[in-house]
Amino acid sequence: MTVWTPTDDGHADLTSHDAFVDGVPHNTFARLRRDDPLHYTEYSAGRSFWSVTRQADILRLNRQADLLSSAQGIRIEDQTEEEYLARRTFQETDPPEHMMTRIKVARAFSKGVVAGFEPQIRDLCNQILDRALDCGSFDATREIARELPMRMLGIIIGVPASDLPWLVDKGDALMANTDPDFTDHVLDRMTTDAYRLMPFNSPAGAELYDYASALMARKAAAGDTDGVLHMLLRPGPDGSVISDTEFRNFFCLLVAAGNDTTRYSIAAGIQALCHQPELLGQMKAGGIWETAPDEIIRWATPALHFRRTATRDFQMHGKTVRAGDKVVYWFASANRDETVFDDPFRVDLARQPNAHLSFGQGGPHICLGMWLARLEVRILFQELARRIAAIEPAGPHRFVRSNFMGGIKTLPVTVKAA
Amino acid sequence: MQVTWILPDGTTRSAEVQPGRTLMEAAVANGIPNVHGECGGSLSCATCHVVVDPEWIDRTGPLGDFEDAMLDATETARAPTSRLSCQIEMSADLDGLRLVVPGG
Repeated sequence: MTVWTPTDDGHADLTSHDAFVDGVPHNTFARLRRDDPLHYTEYSAGRSFWSVTRQADILRLNRQADLLSSAQGIRIEDQTEEEYLARRTFQETDPPEHMMTRIKVARAFSKGVVAGFEPQIRDLCNQILDRALDCGSFDATREIARELPMRMLGIIIGVPASDLPWLVDKGDALMANTDPDFTDHVLDRMTTDAYRLMPFNSPAGAELYDYASALMARKAAAGDTDGVLHMLLRPGPDGSVISDTEFRNFFCLLVAAGNDTTRYSIAAGIQALCHQPELLGQMKAGGIWETAPDEIIRWATPALHFRRTATRDFQMHGKTVRAGDKVVYWFASANRDETVFDDPFRVDLARQPNAHLSFGQGGPHICLGMWLARLEVRILFQELARRIAAIEPAGPHRFVRSNFMGGIKTLPVTVKAA
Repeated sequence: MQVTWILPDGTTRSAEVQPGRTLMEAAVANGIPNVHGECGGSLSCATCHVVVDPEWIDRTGPLGDFEDAMLDATETARAPTSRLSCQIEMSADLDGLRLVVPGG
């Protein structure tokens, strides 16, 4: 039994967020991988772009940051130079500039340091499950998947638990800025340009800016200068310091990107448990925990794409990409590439090797939080599998309306406690 | 040209490596455990950490500022001759090089 079968007709409009409301249009990506792996994708709301859909092609291009730059925007939407400068984070820079920011926080997110959170995460998981499992039937995205990364965010950036739901709502409004369930200012239906200099072109960005400033003032008054946020403020090896705008943008990135991605990984894993019943038994038996987190994260692929811009002309698959052209890496497609993954629509918790690209592997922008994400996913499923005897869907699940953020936003389930 | 990796369990693995290839690429191609190179050699993940046999360290080239900083983000704490193997290119000078792969 496969977990989920795509229903698109193989010719979905990849620029339309509506084409993703029933999940990723995988039949379209399968066709492109087979017939047109460097596809010129027409885009009515901006400049058209190249869609790269094969895993090996993305891997090969991703490491060539000098050829394919992040410094003109990383989503399909076009940005003016002014918008780019106002909204950019280190995601939107190239090496070596990118490294100046990464090295300040790399240690805090390293595998060894993150491993120290294990007891705390396990404790949080059990608190979350205590409450959720009591309900019997519930929305697993809301009650489980949303909760764990949100509470970890509180620990990592050092904010009071009572602020977290507000912060996460604002982060959602940024990441899912094309879904009316998460924002009143739906990006592709917006009639104002009042927020175009705010992160993700969203008024929530302005609110997060204000929160970040107040938070840092409060921390300074309390003499609390230890956390990740303060690491960012330290001068780099060349003495350079991050600008105020860049700091606040990084704060928005932590709140948004560090949160939804882990949430939707957990949600996708729970959805898989519901539809592929042997998975729960395999989790209970153990022996798959070295490989299971990456397989769940492959299955989820929360970041559906990132965009680059060509810095010079190059040839690929008999076509010429021109300097200035937008090139989109569709990780969602790469992670179902049948030439790389046996039975890609099946969740195989023991899959090894697992050359998925959910973290942007193979390039300088590899996910800063990947070790934390893997750890949270592993512990959550270890505890969930231990505590339940059965789990099944209690209604249809619904996906975020977005061609950028892939996630199951509502996931009704019924569980039987063990 | 040959490189030898000394694995965490004490066993050794040797492989022929073409000049110009990075030692991370060589390790991944030869399935050396604990050397992953998840960022593809972009100096962004610190998953290709090795400890160079001190006798060889002078021949492996200079340690850059970013590499130095990323060596603080390795899974196993750095040693005096730690390097990120994506930053070392194979050359005739390194024929016979021995690298310790850290970790348990």
